[in-house]
Amino acid sequence: MADDIQTTHLVRRAGFGATAQEAAAAAAQGYSATVEQLVGGLGQPDDGADAITPPAFGAPLAYYTSLRQARRSGDTAATKSIERQLRAEFGTLTDWWLARMVATTNPLREKLTFLLHGHFPTAISKVRIPSFMYGQNQIFRSQGAGAFDALTLAVATDPAMLIWLDAGSDKAADPNENFARELMERFTMGIGTYHEADVRAAAYAFTGWRVDLATAGFTIDERNHSPVVQHVLGTPVNTGQQVIDLVTHSAASARYVPAAFWSHLAYPVSPSDPVVTDLSGAYAADLNVTNLLRAIFQHPLFTSSAATTGLVKQPVEYVVGSLRALGVPASEVSVAGRKLVGTLAAMGQVLFDPPSVGGWSQNSYWLSTAAALARWTFAHDLAAKADLSPVADASPASRIDAVAALLSVPQWSPATATALTKASGDPALITTLALVSPEYVTN
Amino acid sequence: MHNDPTTHNDPTTHNDPTTHNDPTTPTTPATDAAATAATGTAGTATPTTAPHPEPAGDRRLDRRKFLTLAGGLGAAGLLAGTLGPHAWDVVFGGARDPRGSLGPAAGRRLVLVTLYGGNDGLNTVVPYENPAYAPSRGPLALDASTVLPLDEGYGLHPALTGFKKLWEQKRLAIVQGVGFADPNYSHFESMDIWQSGVPGSAASTGWIGRWLDGMGSSPLRAVGIGPTTPVVLQGDKVQGASLPPGPIRLPGDATEQSLYAGLAGTTRKEALLLADSARSGADLLTVDRRLGPILDRTATADPLHLAGSGTGGAASSEAAGALAIANGGGGLSTPGVLATQLSIVANLILARSPTQVYSVELGGFDTHTDQAATQQTLLAELDAGVTAFVDSLSDDPAGQDTVVLVYTEFGRRVTGNASAGSDHGWANVVFVAGHGVTGGWYGDPPSLSKLSDGNLVFTTDFRSVYATLFAEVLGVDPVPFLDGRFRTIPFV
Repeated sequence: MADDIQTTHLVRRAGFGATAQEAAAAAAQGYSATVEQLVGGLGQPDDGADAITPPAFGAPLAYYTSLRQARRSGDTAATKSIERQLRAEFGTLTDWWLARMVATTNPLREKLTFLLHGHFPTAISKVRIPSFMYGQNQIFRSQGAGAFDALTLAVATDPAMLIWLDAGSDKAADPNENFARELMERFTMGIGTYHEADVRAAAYAFTGWRVDLATAGFTIDERNHSPVVQHVLGTPVNTGQQVIDLVTHSAASARYVPAAFWSHLAYPVSPSDPVVTDLSGAYAADLNVTNLLRAIFQHPLFTSSAATTGLVKQPVEYVVGSLRALGVPASEVSVAGRKLVGTLAAMGQVLFDPPSVGGWSQNSYWLSTAAALARWTFAHDLAAKADLSPVADASPASRIDAVAALLSVPQWSPATATALTKASGDPALITTLALVSPEYVTN
Repeated sequence: MHNDPTTHNDPTTHNDPTTHNDPTTPTTPATDAAATAATGTAGTATPTTAPHPEPAGDRRLDRRKFLTLAGGLGAAGLLAGTLGPHAWDVVFGGARDPRGSLGPAAGRRLVLVTLYGGNDGLNTVVPYENPAYAPSRGPLALDASTVLPLDEGYGLHPALTGFKKLWEQKRLAIVQGVGFADPNYSHFESMDIWQSGVPGSAASTGWIGRWLDGMGSSPLRAVGIGPTTPVVLQGDKVQGASLPPGPIRLPGDATEQSLYAGLAGTTRKEALLLADSARSGADLLTVDRRLGPILDRTATADPLHLAGSGTGGAASSEAAGALAIANGGGGLSTPGVLATQLSIVANLILARSPTQVYSVELGGFDTHTDQAATQQTLLAELDAGVTAFVDSLSDDPAGQDTVVLVYTEFGRRVTGNASAGSDHGWANVVFVAGHGVTGGWYGDPPSLSKLSDGNLVFTTDFRSVYATLFAEVLGVDPVPFLDGRFRTIPFV
């Protein structure tokens, strides 16, 4: 594979597609330098995204108190008013994150945030308080590139996850298994690497975990925390933190977590895949996510054809990447924010609202007829709106190459090339078709 | 105890020795003992919250219930400034997971209703006269006086009033004790097993998807309502179509649509996902051509009489918008989301769509906390949707030939948890409804006294249900599509 195709692939996967400028810059500095630039950005500010004004939220305790008051007094109007405020906050929150992704100048950091949202799927449908979803999102952004054990602990003790997986309603003698099970199955170890007895024992260690509403933080209710020492993975534990240490440092996790990251960035693999063996040793040493990302990008198979054709763009990646490629500015996104959310819903992906703790599936999951219609509708509207001068200024004969450069598509198949050639007299039409081509949807 | 001894004598599996295993074999027998031991030494727990009238699921939210507070908040609250999400649910209302070249069909029509999250079957079809029921369920047990009695000591959850009528009309079959060997409590593995029809493997195709592969190349033969396609409709070569709520409006003019066809319609050798992507575009055009006119024609039809029922309807843009978001990705659902999906299905059936299998869904059944109110709400939605759907087909031959299957990934633990909810369990009940269904009891009810690791043990292999649907509804030999031969059940 030609060097510039490799660097473009890297930029595309490490962020939200590759704009023509990003692709050119990466090609100029070479693959390894681009990896270092991307990975180095993980600890840096993001001038583009940080210019987006963060949303403002009401205090959770105030919402709780006023809503309780409204309900007790049977004040339907007040209840509806609070409900409207929370809905409005949720809309603002979603607009804000989409705007960040479109505006980012530090794309791997924002991409990692999105990846971790899919890894620790948590939904507003149950959490209900947008500021808690925002808080979790900031954990992914600020701590995601560090050690995975610390990240898991931070997420686990944050209100969004506590509410999502039913902390707070257990008793010392009667735990709720939900968090312990999903912690092992989905977040750290993977099904089949632990016993049911480990889940049930771990659930005791998490008893008494609570949201502290006043501080929107975490506390342990000692009266409801089981003092009994349990054995999890053969090791005696008494606290939830000990369980998180155990599971994140387990041999199974040393394969499960790298496999999950590889699956999001290259192509889907199981933890038993040989490529995971290449990643797991270094990862197990310190659970450092930055180093894991570097190792993934530097792995020879990351630029293999299996990888370059191995993922269908998730709807968020598709929409955000298209806006970036066509230079539709972030301000447009917040204006059209509502509509973008509707577009994403029609494709099956709403930020902050994954369908379950399993998160979103991959690849063929996104290739439904309904999603195809939603992509086409979006592409048609976007092409009509965007400044297409990079395509329009090219001669009709070279527009097929101009649109490939615009969207960072390395090569058109003969069938796509035929269709694009027929559309070359109309910049909006050729751009629309390129945006819905299999080569763009799948990379 | 059931009426027909031939229907529930034994596990219905034959031929495949692996499915003959004693279903009572526990997978982790030591666990409960450990839990019990720990329980004995734990201190007396004082709940920081009151009983919770509204429950929480972990999928999607019913936005009309969003922030709805049920009564009885009581002492819930800001005890010592500390608040469990449990109390949170009380104030903010329970989350739910709403989730929802063919000639004339050779067989009958099949509608799959998938309940995500694991519906508590023991409180759905309730053995309320069984002396072990109330003690073993504890606070979760439904009051016998509220259960809708069927016979033989069983009754339906009070929300299932329409199902009760279907039962009396002999249009409702209840298969008890359905499951598979070596269940593992995972939502995702369990649902994959149910949708793939292959236990213990990571099959990537659905049981209907393999049938699609075997029947040709049409995406119209099986159709889901919603933005994404569930595994059950995914084959190797063919994927069942998915429909947006409401009419299909292709963008662009005739030129654009013709060029889109050129993009989408070509067979490619390059890569599998490229070919799948191209296929989804080609399938979209097929859907538009064949089903688009029906969807246009029926855009204002309301076969389930949802208008005025407070649940929107297929014709309601509000409900359509909610449905777009409810399926597959979002949680912004409204009550009636299942009925709205079923309304689209009814329109397609009544208009003679060539489709033989439909898929709709309802989420929110993962009731780890505050189960009573959540299950009440969700079962009421299931009841209203399915009942109105069956009624809407009464006067139509194709409608009368339609069979509805209602299933979920697993049942729940017999004994509840301290959160007024229940954790993941094993065997469950399956409903089969429709005009051509032979109503009654099928399958042996699992024993309440011989639990395995606290769970109901399956007595009927779930593939027996599928084998029956293949043979009797879709009119094909089940063997090519299931891994083994399974006894059919005479419910249809």
